[in-house]
Amino acid sequence: MKIVSGSDIGPLFVLSAYLAACSLASAAPDISGTYWATSYSPKIRVLGGGNPPLNAAGMAAYEKNQAGLKNSSIVDKARRVCVPDGLPRVLATPYPFEIFQVPVDKVTFLYEMNHQVRGIVMDKPLPSEKTLIVDPKYNGHSIGHWDGDMLVVESAGFNDVTFLDATGLPHSDEMRTVERIRKIGNQLEDIITIHDPGMYARDWQARFVYDERNDVRLEDYACNDNHRDLSGVKGVQRH
Amino acid sequence: MTRKLPRIRNLPAGMTVLAALCGAVALPPSLAAEAPRTGAPPNLDLSAPGIAWAGFVAPKEPDYAIARLFNDFASPATGLGPVTDDPAHPYANNEVAREMRTPPTYRVADLNNPAGKNLMPWVREALSKQNELVLRGRNGESREARCWETGVPAFHLNPGLMHIIQTPKEVVLFLTGRARHIWLDVPHSANPKPSWYGESVGRYDGDTLVVDTIGFNDKTFVDSYRTPHSDKLHVVERFRLVDGGNTLEVAFTVEDPGAFYQPWSGTRNRHRVMAPNSGPAEFDCSAANDDYFNIGLEPVPTAEKPDF
Repeated sequence: MKIVSGSDIGPLFVLSAYLAACSLASAAPDISGTYWATSYSPKIRVLGGGNPPLNAAGMAAYEKNQAGLKNSSIVDKARRVCVPDGLPRVLATPYPFEIFQVPVDKVTFLYEMNHQVRGIVMDKPLPSEKTLIVDPKYNGHSIGHWDGDMLVVESAGFNDVTFLDATGLPHSDEMRTVERIRKIGNQLEDIITIHDPGMYARDWQARFVYDERNDVRLEDYACNDNHRDLSGVKGVQRH
Repeated sequence: MTRKLPRIRNLPAGMTVLAALCGAVALPPSLAAEAPRTGAPPNLDLSAPGIAWAGFVAPKEPDYAIARLFNDFASPATGLGPVTDDPAHPYANNEVAREMRTPPTYRVADLNNPAGKNLMPWVREALSKQNELVLRGRNGESREARCWETGVPAFHLNPGLMHIIQTPKEVVLFLTGRARHIWLDVPHSANPKPSWYGESVGRYDGDTLVVDTIGFNDKTFVDSYRTPHSDKLHVVERFRLVDGGNTLEVAFTVEDPGAFYQPWSGTRNRHRVMAPNSGPAEFDCSAANDDYFNIGLEPVPTAEKPDF
């Protein structure tokens, strides 16, 4: 039996590392295109099952939100006046969305619903803590980098007027998220990790999968408009 | 998860060196450096990193001729142009007010100049009613200020930063949280679904992007005077760079046999600005835009029932 010595694989390893590095440097993985979920759940599904690990404060906030949504003392502005959904609720959208990798310093997500835009700034640090606090966003400030074929997106600086899902699942303005987004065949997978010690006892994850649908054109979307047919998306109940 | 992501501050310099090294040897095609494909002609690259297109750049010295185009179309040198302000009630936008130190006003349309006389009776009547409202201090806000989709060509009026994404398949215009798609090198659909920005198809004609749009709904206005149109609206826009690439000129022609007797034209220029920290971004116009003082503001778009 021939034993492969270090000196044998050394040059090969160097060459393959070099080629891999070159491919990273020159061409980012291409995840651009149009995507559309095939199912929708108003309640976010925790990866691995079970319920989101709310802590006592989170439980109280969730109960308050649910009661408020039921008796209309709390308005779901994302549906009432069509402001952005916020993360991760936007990831559950039953409408198509589009990803752009032009210009090269950003990855831009454009959602049909509420024409929400997420700009992911590539290979830069997050804005300063001060900016995250004084300029909070519905979908947070997001930065990204490529980890092999995976787009890793870190977001922070969220406002506290959104829900994590359509049932009123709460979050604090100190929430931080990390998404790992990749193409698997003709699908796009986004696994998001929620870190929000103010509302949750531990970090937890959710997974969203979309079909690549480059045959679909994004349409205009305005509140109370005549919107596209969603009968192909399981779980959508039109009101 | 509390762990910070790896610091990548030194990446750009490292990438440059790596790219230079990689370029020095012939790589298999799959690994060869691939420039981002925008599909744009070399002299109409509108989506370079760090670039944005400002609808207005304040002049160094007060200049009425520039300030008045803060949020308006420029009229063509010859031929019919857009509706303009009534000389009896000159319009002072916020920039004119700032530069000329006069109070800002709302728009009152001139119905007696050639552009006014080009309006069909129902359009004249609508604008006449709007003028009366404005003169009574009501409804002077533009439709955009009330968070409605702006339509075309009114889309271009916002003085803010436009970001443009060009791909071989489409050109997307982003402005104040709105997005407009221009589908390249395809014909119009047989029956486009009526929509706020219509169905825009475009092609590069040399260094000019020519965009043809039909299939509008009849819920928008063509300008900030609130000039209505019908669903027969047809707009042709020509995007090109002038002034050494520093100005994006959008020259357009509007025809609507249901609203205007003759086609009319206008221009809206945007200026190349370096804005590396900006980009297409979220916008929440309707979050806090209620009629708090009960002054009869047009309601923001509101869903009586949630979409789903």
